[in-house]
Amino acid sequence: MSLLASLARGAEIPVFAAIGAGGLAPVETLRRRPGLRLVDTPRHARVLLVAGEVDAAHATALERLHAQLARPRATVWWRAPRLFDRGEIADGDDPTGAIRRAAETDEPDQRPDLPPHPWEGIGPHGQGGMGMMGGTPYGRPMAMTAEDIRDGLALDAYRARFGPFLPMLPPGLALDLTLQGDVIVAAGVAAPPYPQGAESDAPGPCAARMLRLMGIGPRAARARGALAALPRGSGMRRRLAAWVDGARVDETPRPLPDALPGRDWTGAALWLASFAPSRLRAACLKPEAA
Amino acid sequence: MTEIAMPLVLVLLAVAFAWGLQRLGPEAGATWPHRAPFLGGGVPQTHAWQRWHARYYPMTLLFIAFEMEMMFMYPWAVVYIETGTKALAEMGMFLGILSVGILYGWREGVFRWQ
Repeated sequence: MSLLASLARGAEIPVFAAIGAGGLAPVETLRRRPGLRLVDTPRHARVLLVAGEVDAAHATALERLHAQLARPRATVWWRAPRLFDRGEIADGDDPTGAIRRAAETDEPDQRPDLPPHPWEGIGPHGQGGMGMMGGTPYGRPMAMTAEDIRDGLALDAYRARFGPFLPMLPPGLALDLTLQGDVIVAAGVAAPPYPQGAESDAPGPCAARMLRLMGIGPRAARARGALAALPRGSGMRRRLAAWVDGARVDETPRPLPDALPGRDWTGAALWLASFAPSRLRAACLKPEAA
Repeated sequence: MTEIAMPLVLVLLAVAFAWGLQRLGPEAGATWPHRAPFLGGGVPQTHAWQRWHARYYPMTLLFIAFEMEMMFMYPWAVVYIETGTKALAEMGMFLGILSVGILYGWREGVFRWQ
């Protein structure tokens, strides 16, 4: 083995964690484990770690993540049944060994190498429709301006599905959002968050998740500025203060389609993180039961 | 000859460099699903080509209007005494044109403090 290869073997392995049911608390323990580094996007990752059982309905979403890891890539299924036939399986408390083994391998694409929306070359310039702004280039309609709810400056409305494995959203939560700039103008819940264990509702992990979203280290959590960084009047300050003091927060959020519009993207991510995972899941499930 | 050839060679080198980076870079040969934007497994439903409002633009417009006034007023003040009424009329026309821009900014709400 060359010196370079042995050095590379000793390096930290960047891991992107796609968290499934009951995977939130176990992934939290990986942050302290040497030799691994949890990253926020699959672009920076070497290994895709699927932690906890993932709904079969999200198999395509998982395959998309898999394809977004740069080659060489690998998959580890930690306490999760395989949804596609690649990668290593890890069952115990420590997936490090499986991740190390996986990091020696390379997996080919899981998704077919086809454009997600086929090119529809019609119209005078092949743009897929008639006129300058019309049409559906690559099968997706152009964004068009819509009424603005913030200050009257109309921006193009952008519609997309965010989640279910977006690191700033609770794992499993898939949102159909319409954004103008960074302001959410309409929201729909496509999939509720996965059930997590009771340990995920504990004040410590909840505060840690929220502070990490805010980019504030744990030592600065008790500083006055940490709370002042949150928008006033949304209850976020109160809930984070309670968590930092070690108290449980049992508030249930309003239904997301009512509560999210009007918030900006980062404010919405923080607002979602300011509720205990079980309460947020309850709020997302309630409209279906009613 | 060199004056023309040198920039031409530099431009060709720059183009070749950019092209080479594109061919050798991390995204070279990337598959379609790899190039998709990262939305945590979701997909965008609208095209990525969209217009954003440059929110500072009315303020820029106002700044330019007043700055142009000042730029012209300094040399104007130097020659004002010897040129006389003609200079006054010219400055009046100039300010008239610029004030149209300021009125437009007013209509766009640039003077509202938010």
